Amino acid sequence: MTNVIEARGLTKRYGKYKAVDSIDLEVPAGRIVGLIGPNGAGKTSALKAILGLTNFEGELKVLGKDPSRDRAALMEDVCFIADVAVLPRWARVWQLLEFTEKIHPRFRREKCEAYLKTTKVRMDHRVKQLSKGMVAQLHLAIVMAIDVRLLVLDEPTLGLDILYRKQFYTNLLNDYFDEQRSILITTHQVEEVEHILSDLVFIQEGKIALDCTMDDVQERYIELMATPETIEAARALNPLFERVLFGRHIFLYENADRAKLSALGELHTPSVADLFVATMSNGGEA
Amino acid sequence: MNRLKALMVREYWENRGAFRTTPLVIGGIYVVVFLMGIFTFGYFDNEFHTLKEAIQFIAQKTNPGDRAFAIQMGLMFNSFLFTLVLAIVVFFYLLGSLYDDRKDRSILWWKSLPASDTLTLASKLLSAMFVVPVFFFVVYVLTMLALTIISSIVVLTLGENPWTLFLGLTNPFKPLGMLLASYLAMAFWALPLYGWLMFVSAVSPRIPLLFALVPPAVFAVLQIWIDFLRTFTLKTNLGGLIWNWFANSPLIISGGEHNGNVGAALGIPITDDFDHAVTIGNMLDRLFSVDMLMGLLLAAVFLAAALWLRHRATDN
Repeated sequence: MTNVIEARGLTKRYGKYKAVDSIDLEVPAGRIVGLIGPNGAGKTSALKAILGLTNFEGELKVLGKDPSRDRAALMEDVCFIADVAVLPRWARVWQLLEFTEKIHPRFRREKCEAYLKTTKVRMDHRVKQLSKGMVAQLHLAIVMAIDVRLLVLDEPTLGLDILYRKQFYTNLLNDYFDEQRSILITTHQVEEVEHILSDLVFIQEGKIALDCTMDDVQERYIELMATPETIEAARALNPLFERVLFGRHIFLYENADRAKLSALGELHTPSVADLFVATMSNGGEA
Repeated sequence: MNRLKALMVREYWENRGAFRTTPLVIGGIYVVVFLMGIFTFGYFDNEFHTLKEAIQFIAQKTNPGDRAFAIQMGLMFNSFLFTLVLAIVVFFYLLGSLYDDRKDRSILWWKSLPASDTLTLASKLLSAMFVVPVFFFVVYVLTMLALTIISSIVVLTLGENPWTLFLGLTNPFKPLGMLLASYLAMAFWALPLYGWLMFVSAVSPRIPLLFALVPPAVFAVLQIWIDFLRTFTLKTNLGGLIWNWFANSPLIISGGEHNGNVGAALGIPITDDFDHAVTIGNMLDRLFSVDMLMGLLLAAVFLAAALWLRHRATDN
């Protein structure tokens, strides 16, 4: 199986500034990859290159196509939700469905309509009459009715309340995802996606700071909650990062000896958010 | 082909107000003003000539040939308001065509669908060239039909025969056909302008109207100034070029005596580059001229630039 996305030395410049600085990235089929980074790290620039929305330097193949040249053809197999507010405000729901049906060979209108029946969105609503959450539901309903091989989500739940956000990811996971498809998600709300990801890519200042599977994360990283007596011993074992929570010192280790650590305090798998903070504070040297 | 059609339907949905409602409103204004005219005349019946006397006068004292000619000219000249508003609608439609979806970020939605930028651009240009003029034309014909029906009823109630008075005198399809032909010819003649507007629409970071008007105006003023400094004369400049282009256009927008005939004219009959009489031949002369060829080249440059920009356009 070839990779869905293959990038070698992908670079995006704005003048002298490199938003994306020579990154290598491989996304195999059937994965859910989280592209995670702070604001301005280059996430959106990388996605725009992948979606053929911008020119770039370096090598980039998405489903074997060059996105900057074949965007229209590529969009038959790739879908993206850029952010919740991009559906045209003047359009009525039935118009969006009819247009998508005529333009997209893989759109199944019945499926979309069935999904919309479970929401408050009605066919004669205009997009501008819908709440932000309903627009997101509508956009997701359209996208889920399109049978594509790669779905790209760029901050898909920005500005939505917690109920819609949960619902959004639940629907995505239950009704959409399967081994044939890949999903690439960018967000800086890490906690929200960490349970659905299969792969993790951290991006910082245009460079990849971490690229591994979630299984790797569990194997490679461990967090130790040290007791006051073991703090010095814990520090001596080369932690990646140390933080203090309610007076307890918490250390993050990479490839550490678990037996040794368990003697010093409680062990658990770090959350993606903690790993993210540790990686970013270390300047990407995780 | 189906995608192009879907894209053009999309343009119609988004601009239904401009494409369909606007000409309907103008048609409504024509009908209302016409009815007001008849009622005004009726109101003063006892003081001046009555409407009945006036129609009798027309029926008895004027010659059917003159009446036929007046109807022919009327059917072309009455379109003036439609043509004027059509030009304004097309102007602003094109100015927003590649700008509005960048501004409201919906370009990210449109670009997530498998429709190429070339096809998108084509759907917008073709809408401006053909869809909008045809809408205006159809509503114009319906308006003239309404006025004819009203006139016939008025004439009938006043005891005259509308058939001999005006209905049966002339073939209305000839002047109406000329009008439609002139709209279609103008679609090509105006391509350099359309190309410029789409280019501006694709390139403007904001307020495309300013970007459309200010650079040519500044350029023309500089040209006049430099020319004046060099030769102390005011010769041709961009402004004059545009004016000449407009005066030579195949649009029925003026009238007057031309080549011994009084009647409607193509463009404004102040230039000798083309014959201004309203004939299909004269329209074709314009479309197969060197001027048109230059215009097409210019339009191609603008449109290629617009396409290049659209290809790279995202939401910021």
